[in-house]
Amino acid sequence: MAGIKALISLSFGGAIGLMFLMLGCTLPVSDKYWPLFLLFFYVLSPIPYCISRRVVDDTDSASNACKELAIFFTTGIVISAFGLPIVFARAEVIAWGACALVLTGNVVIFGTILGFFLVFGSNDDFSWQQW
Amino acid sequence: MSGFLDGIRCGDCECNVDWGERRNTIASIAAGVLFFTGWWIIIDAAVKYPDQGQFHHAYHTCGVIATVAFLMINAVSNGQVRGDSYSEGCLGQTGARVWLFIGFMLAFGSLIASMWILFGGFVVPQKPAVYPGIAVFFQNAFIFFGGLVFKFGRTEDLWQ
Repeated sequence: MAGIKALISLSFGGAIGLMFLMLGCTLPVSDKYWPLFLLFFYVLSPIPYCISRRVVDDTDSASNACKELAIFFTTGIVISAFGLPIVFARAEVIAWGACALVLTGNVVIFGTILGFFLVFGSNDDFSWQQW
Repeated sequence: MSGFLDGIRCGDCECNVDWGERRNTIASIAAGVLFFTGWWIIIDAAVKYPDQGQFHHAYHTCGVIATVAFLMINAVSNGQVRGDSYSEGCLGQTGARVWLFIGFMLAFGSLIASMWILFGGFVVPQKPAVYPGIAVFFQNAFIFFGGLVFKFGRTEDLWQ
C-alpha cells in the first residue's frame, strides 16, 4: 500500500510541475512556447544514473567512478534546466514572470524525479518488475 | 480531538547518513554545479552580446581549452599516477603523469588567459560593455575549480 500511495503522490507532483511549465508558456501576456524545450532536460535527467546502475553492479564499494560521473552529468542537466529559462528571460524571449513559473515547475519536477529514485530506486536487484 | 498533536515528533529523523560515504557524491554534485554554471554564464553572455565587436568570438577558445583540460585531468585516477592500480592502462605510469601534467598546464593556462582576456581585451581598451570579459573570466574560474573539486574532492579508498 505504501508503494501505491508513494506512486500516486509522485505522479501528482509530476502533474503539478508540468502544470507550472505550461503556465509559464501560456500565462503572461503572449503565448511563447520556448520553455517547452525543458521537457528535453526532464526526460534526459534520470538517464545517466540509470545507465550507471545497469552497467556497474558492485554496490559494496564506496567509490564508484561510473556512478560519480553519472551524478556529475545529472547535476549538469539539472543546472541546464535552471539556466535555460534564465537565459531566455535575459534575452527577452519570455517574460520574467514566465521564467519564475518555469523555475518553480523545475523544482517540483526534479523533486518528483528524486523522490521516485529514493522511494523506488534503492533495492538490491534493480529490476523493472517491482510491483 | 484531545492529544491529536501527540503523534507529531520533531527531529525524529533516522537519517543516519554516513557523511564519509557521501563525500564522493557531494563532490560530484559540487563539481557538476560549478562546471555547468560556468558554461551557462558564457552562453548568457553570448546571447546578450552577439556582436563580434562587443564580444569577439575567438574568446570562446579559452573555455573550450578549459573543458579539454577538465577532461584530461579527470581521465586519469590518482592510483594510476602513483602506480598502484591493477592495470597499467594504455600509457603506463609515466604516460599517466605526462597526461596529468599537460592537463594541469592547460587548466592553469586557460585560467590565466581568461584573466588576460578580461584585462587586456575589455578593461584596458575601456570597452563600454565589460560584462563579456567578466563572463569569460568566471566561466574559466568555475570550470577550473569544478575540475579541482572533481579530482581532489573524491576519495578512491574503497574501504573506509
